[in-house]
Order: sequence, then structure tokens, then C-alpha cells
Amino acid sequence: MGHGRYIAPPEGLYQVAAGERLDLQYVVLPGESREIEVTVDLNGPGAEAHIKALYLCRADEKVRFRIVMHHRAPGCKSTQAINGIAGGRADVRFDGTIVVAPDAQQTEAYQENHNIVLTEEARVETKPQLEIYADDVKCSHGATVGQLNPDELFYMRSRGIPESEARTLQMLSFLSPVIPIGREEEIESWIRTL
Amino acid sequence: MSYLLKINNLHVRIGDKEILKGIDLEIKPGEIHAVMGPNGAGKSTLSAVLTGRPDYEVTEGTVQYKGEDLLAKTPEERAWAGLFLSFQYPIEIPGVTITAFMKAAVNAKRKAQGLEEMKAGDFLKLMKQKMAFVQMKPEFAKREVNVGFSGGEKKRNEIFQMAMLDPELSILDETDSGLDVDALKIVADGVNALRSPEKSAIIITHYQKLLEYVQPDVVHVLKAGKIVATGGRELIEAIESKGFDQF
Repeated sequence: MGHGRYIAPPEGLYQVAAGERLDLQYVVLPGESREIEVTVDLNGPGAEAHIKALYLCRADEKVRFRIVMHHRAPGCKSTQAINGIAGGRADVRFDGTIVVAPDAQQTEAYQENHNIVLTEEARVETKPQLEIYADDVKCSHGATVGQLNPDELFYMRSRGIPESEARTLQMLSFLSPVIPIGREEEIESWIRTL
Repeated sequence: MSYLLKINNLHVRIGDKEILKGIDLEIKPGEIHAVMGPNGAGKSTLSAVLTGRPDYEVTEGTVQYKGEDLLAKTPEERAWAGLFLSFQYPIEIPGVTITAFMKAAVNAKRKAQGLEEMKAGDFLKLMKQKMAFVQMKPEFAKREVNVGFSGGEKKRNEIFQMAMLDPELSILDETDSGLDVDALKIVADGVNALRSPEKSAIIITHYQKLLEYVQPDVVHVLKAGKIVATGGRELIEAIESKGFDQF
């Protein structure tokens, strides 16, 4: 595609100290099977972690996300956004856990995992979990597995947008929260291969 | 006389249920036709099948548009040929701005006509002009298509798109439902502005409200999947005074 392979941040354990901020971004492109395991410890007050990931599958890729977010100190914030599109016979699984320790008051923790399945053979499983031991917290998680909306598709086609173009627009908008800045065109050209 | 649209004995079903049971309708260039009827008559099915919505099965009959088989065309090919549907329930498209949406639509049509893409400056100028025409605030250009719009804003957005795409045959499916008088006038102005000797419209409605502002040339009454009466404006008055039961 004329672009170098994206160098993802290493997986494993991240310790985030008071007032620090961690940003992680993962991109899994068609043809790649990946197991991404990340554990984050928000250890000091006011620590933040933000994880974004997108995946695109079109064959028999196997993609796993295992993310554990520990809120161990008060006033920490975390966000997770993992969106992807599974075509072909892809096999995708997301396990995401947020753990809020008893001392971690004023926690803000959000987790979103949204998936589109393009074929009958593709499989996506999502398992979001919250373990909350503090009482003053704002936490939410949302997980969906769906298909491209046929009503949107017809609406666009009725305006003259060709079906393939309409599908590309739908997929781009679905992924837009997780596309790294500056890589929009590259991701768009990969979407066109799905 | 050549017809813009010629529907002959059209039968349509969804699943096992026959909704349209032999429709005949002929529209000449420049004519505005009103199709009135009670709920469940098949009005929306007619608009759906003309624009190529999936899941509607034509079991009998033909539809000719500009002398060609309309039913053989994809929804996008119908749009390129100048057909436009104002949706009864406009669809929300999260993540796609009105600008991106209209740019894709306008340029796809130009491409199909063998024209180059519109220059960005020209496109934005056209957007601005048409938005002002339907009294949409300029900031709507950056809004996601129909997301968070009120009922009236959605309908205005439909008329805006109609003005942008400059269709030869517009189908307005219950565009007047749920509109207050001000919004209704904006819709009516939009339709009237597109009137020309070449352009036609089908106004589908079960009220006479919109037809006070847009004067139809021909009025049809659709009931239980069939056109049971065709005439002029006197039909609207008859419906207003005695309802649909008389047919």
C-alpha cells in the first residue's frame, strides 16, 4: 500500500505514576494475526491511560485483545476504544477488564468495543468486565457486534452513492474514533480491500 | 406524447403479502401528481419499489422511466438518471457529515454523466446557496447526516438534498407529515422552485395540507393496493369532505 508497517507499542505491563499519562494505539491490518495483551496499573493520583485499537480482517486472521486496566489510586482516568471489522473467516476476541480498587475514589473509566461482522463465517466475541470496589466512580462500558446498517446503505445509494463507496463511507465512519491521526487515507485504502 | 414515467399493471409483494395489486400510472414531463390514500394503502410501497429498495418483490407489470426499464436499474443508477425520493423517515448516518455525504452523491452523479468532479469551491458555494434556500443554518454542513435532527430539520434536509441533486422526477413520501405550517411552506417552496416543463414530481400524502401550497396537475386515490380514482383538484376536496370511504 506504499506505507511501512505500523510499529505498535510493546505489549505487557505499564506502570503509570501520579500525574502521568499513557497513550497506546494499536492497528491490526488485514492478513495479520495478533494477540495484544496489555495490563495498565494507574498507580498514583491523577494518572491517565488511553488505549485505542482498530482491526481489519478479511481472511482467516485470529485477533485477540486482552486488556486489564487497574485503577489503584484516586482521581485516575482511563479510556479504551477498540473498533474493528471482521470479514472472511476471521476469529476475533476482546477481553477487557476494568478493576477499580477500594482506594481509587473519583475514578473515571470508560471502555468501548464495537465490531462489525461482514460475513457469516467471521466470528467476534466480546467480553467486557467491570470490577468496582470503590463507591465514588464514573464507569461505563459498551460492546456491540453488528452488521453494516442496510437502511443507511439504501439511503446513500438512493442519493447516487455507489454501493461500494457507501460501504466504505459506513466503515470509515464506524472506525473514525480509533483511526490514528494522519493515517486516514491508508486505512481507507485497506477498507476498500475488505 | 412521451412519458417520463409509465407504470403498467404493477404488482408488488413483501414476503407473502401482496401490497400493490395492479397499479397503472403515467406521468408526463412537467406534471405534478398527488397520490393520496389511507394508511396501509400501499403508498410507501410504491415509492420504495420505484427507488429500488431491497425486499420488495415485483411479481407482475413494468415500470418505464425515460423509456427504459426502471426496475432493472440499481438504486444508484436510478438516482443518476434523475430520480429522487424524499424519505418519510430520513435515515441517520452517524460519522458522515452532510458535506461529505452530498459531495459523494453529487460527484457520483457527475461521474456517471461523464463529467469531472465539482471543484471544492464551486461545491461549497452550491451547498451554501441551497441550504439558505431551505433555511438550514450553515453549521448544518458539518453535522452528521440527520443525527439529532428534529422532525422538521430532517424533512428540510431532504428538500435540501433534492435541491442539490436537481432531479427530474421527485417522489415526496409523506414529506408533510409532522411538519408545522412554516416547515410545510419551506418544503412547498422547494418543490415549486423545481417546477419546470421537464421536471415532474409525485407527492404521496394522506393529508391535503401540502397540496394547498403545491398545486398538483393530477390526483390519484390509492386504496388497498389499487388506484381507485384519478382526477383533478376536485378529488382533494371530495376527500377532505367525505374521507377515503367513498371510493
